[in-house]
Amino acid sequence: MSGRAHAARAPRAALAARAGLAALVALAAGAAGAVGAAGAAGAPGAPGVVDVGPTLARTQILARTLDDEPRSLDPQLASDIPGQRIADDLFEGLTAVGIDGRPVPGVAASWQESADGLTWVFHLRAAARWSNGAPVTAGDFVYAWRREVDPRTGSQYAQGLAPIAGALAIASGDAPPDTLGVRALDAHTLRVRLAGPTPYLLDLLSQQYLYPVYAPVIRRYGEQWTQPAHMVCDGAFVLREHVIGSRITLQKNPLYWDAAHVHLQRVVYYVLPDRNVQAERFMAGQAQWTDSFAANQHDWLAAHLGAQVVNSPYFGTYMLGFNFQMPPFRDNRPLREALVLAIDREPLVHAMRSMYQPAYTLMPPLPGYVQPVPAWARLSEQARHALARRLYREAGYSHTDPLRVDIVTSVQGADERHFYEAVAAEWRAILGADVHVDEEEFKVLIQDRELHKVALFHDAWIGDYPDPYTFMQIFYTGNGNNNGAYSDPAFDRLIDAAGREADEAARYRLFGAAERVLNEDAAYIPLYYYATRHLVKPYVRGWRSNIMDRNLSRYMYLLEHQGD
Amino acid sequence: MSARPAGERIPMSVPLQRPAAPEPPAASPSSAPPARAGAFWRLTLRRLAAQPTTRVAAALLAMIVIGCLVIPWLSPYDYYTPHFDLLSRGPMLAGAHLFGTDPLGRDLLVRVMWGCRISLAVGVAASLVSVLIGVAWGAIAGYVGGWLDSTMMRAVDVLYSVPFVPFVIVLTVLFGRSLWLLFVAIGAVSWLDIARIVRGQTLSLKQREFIEAARVAGVRGVDMISRHIVPNLLGIVAVYATLTIPAVILFEALLSFLGLGVQSPMASLGSLVADGASDMQAHPHLLIVPAALLSLIIYCFNYLGDGLRDALDPRSR
Amino acid sequence: MLRYTLRRLIIAVPTLLLIATLAFALLHAAPGGPFDSDKRMLPAIQRAIEARYHLDEPLWRQYVRYLGELSRGDLGPSFQYRDTSVNQIIAQGLPVDATVGLAALALALLVGGTVGVSAALWHGTRWDHAPMALAAVGISVPVFVVAPLLILVFAVALHWLPPGDWVAGSPSHLVLPVVALALPYIGYVARLMRGSTLEVLASPFIRSARAKGLPSRLILWRHALRPALTPLVSYLGPAIAGLVTGSIVVESVFGLPGIGRFFITAALNRDYTLLVGITVLYGAFIILCNLLADLCYAWIDPRVRLR
Repeated sequence: MSGRAHAARAPRAALAARAGLAALVALAAGAAGAVGAAGAAGAPGAPGVVDVGPTLARTQILARTLDDEPRSLDPQLASDIPGQRIADDLFEGLTAVGIDGRPVPGVAASWQESADGLTWVFHLRAAARWSNGAPVTAGDFVYAWRREVDPRTGSQYAQGLAPIAGALAIASGDAPPDTLGVRALDAHTLRVRLAGPTPYLLDLLSQQYLYPVYAPVIRRYGEQWTQPAHMVCDGAFVLREHVIGSRITLQKNPLYWDAAHVHLQRVVYYVLPDRNVQAERFMAGQAQWTDSFAANQHDWLAAHLGAQVVNSPYFGTYMLGFNFQMPPFRDNRPLREALVLAIDREPLVHAMRSMYQPAYTLMPPLPGYVQPVPAWARLSEQARHALARRLYREAGYSHTDPLRVDIVTSVQGADERHFYEAVAAEWRAILGADVHVDEEEFKVLIQDRELHKVALFHDAWIGDYPDPYTFMQIFYTGNGNNNGAYSDPAFDRLIDAAGREADEAARYRLFGAAERVLNEDAAYIPLYYYATRHLVKPYVRGWRSNIMDRNLSRYMYLLEHQGD
Repeated sequence: MSARPAGERIPMSVPLQRPAAPEPPAASPSSAPPARAGAFWRLTLRRLAAQPTTRVAAALLAMIVIGCLVIPWLSPYDYYTPHFDLLSRGPMLAGAHLFGTDPLGRDLLVRVMWGCRISLAVGVAASLVSVLIGVAWGAIAGYVGGWLDSTMMRAVDVLYSVPFVPFVIVLTVLFGRSLWLLFVAIGAVSWLDIARIVRGQTLSLKQREFIEAARVAGVRGVDMISRHIVPNLLGIVAVYATLTIPAVILFEALLSFLGLGVQSPMASLGSLVADGASDMQAHPHLLIVPAALLSLIIYCFNYLGDGLRDALDPRSR
Repeated sequence: MLRYTLRRLIIAVPTLLLIATLAFALLHAAPGGPFDSDKRMLPAIQRAIEARYHLDEPLWRQYVRYLGELSRGDLGPSFQYRDTSVNQIIAQGLPVDATVGLAALALALLVGGTVGVSAALWHGTRWDHAPMALAAVGISVPVFVVAPLLILVFAVALHWLPPGDWVAGSPSHLVLPVVALALPYIGYVARLMRGSTLEVLASPFIRSARAKGLPSRLILWRHALRPALTPLVSYLGPAIAGLVTGSIVVESVFGLPGIGRFFITAALNRDYTLLVGITVLYGAFIILCNLLADLCYAWIDPRVRLR
């Protein structure tokens, strides 16, 4: 069941009460949908029409693909998306990722929040077990979270725990790990103290770097604890085989507390960095769910595979960044604005990135958040072009004295390069600017951005959790991810105020105001919002598109089918 | 330290029998008076032209070279301006897009011709670089012999296992991504094979009578190498040079595949093929056109190399 | 011959050392480090990671430390895959590459050798031109075109063979990768064998054998083939090393867990230990193969003296 389903944000208190029904509802909906959609199986013109029955297939083995080899299977070190996918299947945190990407009760069956929202108490369910039979205790969480913020672990997401009291000080090396604001009141009760109001706490708790880990196995085997023979996990699956660079095989964990509702017996992940190969495996029937497919093949795949091609909004924005520390963009707002305006986003994205949405703001669509779309987005094309040219001249450039600058991007493949070439061509046509695309190797680009050596650069950001702060922080003065060295005290003040605000609506309004500051400053060039890209066989059910693109194998199942 | 056969005549060198034209025994262009040297090469050319396959190959190459120089000049389209209403169209007569368009709506024929220019330039230039280095290295090592030979060939062994990709990465970062850098970088890696072959040939040539004669006459060192050894190597070097060109072009294609080749919007045949390979199912013309041209060019160079080898060695029927 | 072999092996040690040093220096010269990512880390964490992997030490000390580990056979931890060591990655990947590479070599020698020798025997006829033209296809069309084409035809359209992946002991998973890998080598071997066979067949001692009245087949197998093999042997040395350490494209298109693909990703991700480890392995193979090739010369031509 695909489609653009944005689940409305349920009030936090009601969520805790609906704990047990969540999985049942998903299953019932899945069954109903399966019955209803049975007749719609097989896309017109698909190579080998698949006949999907209404009952479960006898062999429940799912084959998925990954875009790259995970950098680590250790949840505290899994900093990339492939690592997150595997960790999501092997482990479970206080809250789990629901079928729609929203947090649902996981190891924690229930929780309470103090009046000021700064202290939370979680009650772990007694049935939660590690794969070796030992119970999952609050101490496991304490150990894991301390390990996450301890600089000696070297976790790249340590600052993700910033909302927890004491985390930043520990991660900066100024305090020992046991000062973290988390404490095991007893074996099944965990108390968490926050640094400030954190409306997105439940989403945060379902991030992979907050999953518990089994301390004895780590102490005994060190870095080798993620070998299949040693690994101990608390999720729906256990690690059966890991062929580096090729294949990761998971097997159902019979000791998982919700094992009764897990249908898949085995999940195989194929590591395929080449997107075209992922599509080929899918069409050959060897993979049933792909993590991605080549963007430039979208139209062709849609024509041939129909509904098996799935796109939905993804929480990320694709943009170009300005360097505020060097010419030509330093102290030259008209020039920046001219470049922002002189891109015809609708036809460009429609022609080249038909799966994505043109972007006019930093924040992609988020339920409850009102995007501050700038006024120029509503201008007609001619009016916008005229305005852009006027600003360009005001900035001091003309046809005889054009702007000469390079778009610096990383080497990602033909279709990425083509898109930036098209942008450069538009600037050339509308403004007369002389812009070229300079592809650098990825590590070189990172370093150049970090050292603020390039004037105009590719900058994309994917939010870690569904809250505006994850995007806004990259423009905060001095933030490590502030590649353009942008700095505006008004912006910083608004962000600080939002950080202290407990009411979600007020918070969002503050973030909106902060974004308007960015718009007025023309602090970056928005291009488009990301979308998820998956190829999914029609008989694979138990998943739903969501903006965080987290699809756990735990809910999935295969319907009986004939054909590939 | 070598196991090369001592005293054994290594094939593929200068003719053994006297060909029809009057030439001194063990003919070589340099040890003969200038008029005779010209005659040698004219003869070679004539024999080259006598084979139908070589004629065809040379003619095709000539047509390709002329095409890639003339067509971009004649065509109303350039290679970098996108046209969003014509993305990835197949070959069509409308608008004279004989090969269709690429994913940015640019005329594929023009892009392929530009790519041809770049690939041929890279191929020839890099091969020249590698030939220069390789011949010098191999001839010196083979002629001087002893510890110098041993050291130089050990160096070749070592260089064979140097990882090329970080080498090119460092070069591109230090010197920027330019075409000249590509020539030098690829050429600097391709000379190894030629050096080994040249050294082997030099070793056997050293034993030949005419070298003895020259030595008795007082020719030494650099003079000996440049005037007597190298010209006798030209045959085999020519063959290997023509065989290196396609290898270089393919290597440049691999670099483009990894994103280290020519900078966009410029394209080489290799980068066009790499781009097309990723779009193979949806738009096959994007792959077929540059791949066919690339294969054709390589084919022709291979046949030319073969023909050259046959022409230089009349014993082969 | 034994003394010769020993001498070559002893020289191999400083050669490998030089290779390791060059690789180490080159990759460290390239900008960027293994832990640079687009989501920046806190400085304390960055420092801790660098301390753990000794990246904060001066370069010469990192080098000496690495050499020490190398002498113990420990190629170090992988920087991009933090759960594994270089030894584990190589141990897992090398058998895959060896299997595919050696199978491709056998195919290339068999098909290429046959085509080349027969082309020489029927020199000038259509049995010369046509097979050589086909062999040249392998050299002309890049592997990253051939490999996906093979998958498209045989796996996606016809469903005869699996589209990739590695299942130890399954021959059907081997067919497509081996063919894709072997095609260019078939072309080179055919060309080499044709050229050298032609040369040998026209040489005086063959003429005298013919004059003696020996049958053609005897001439070919007993007298002509051995000397004709010398250029092939000299080509095979580095070719074997390249085949065995894996073709990057074949591995990535077919999803084979070999080490060739790691070579490129190690360079691009600045995984110093993995890259130097694979480079040293590659170097050792080349040295070994060259030694074997030189020993083969001695076997082929008894007049050769190993000095």
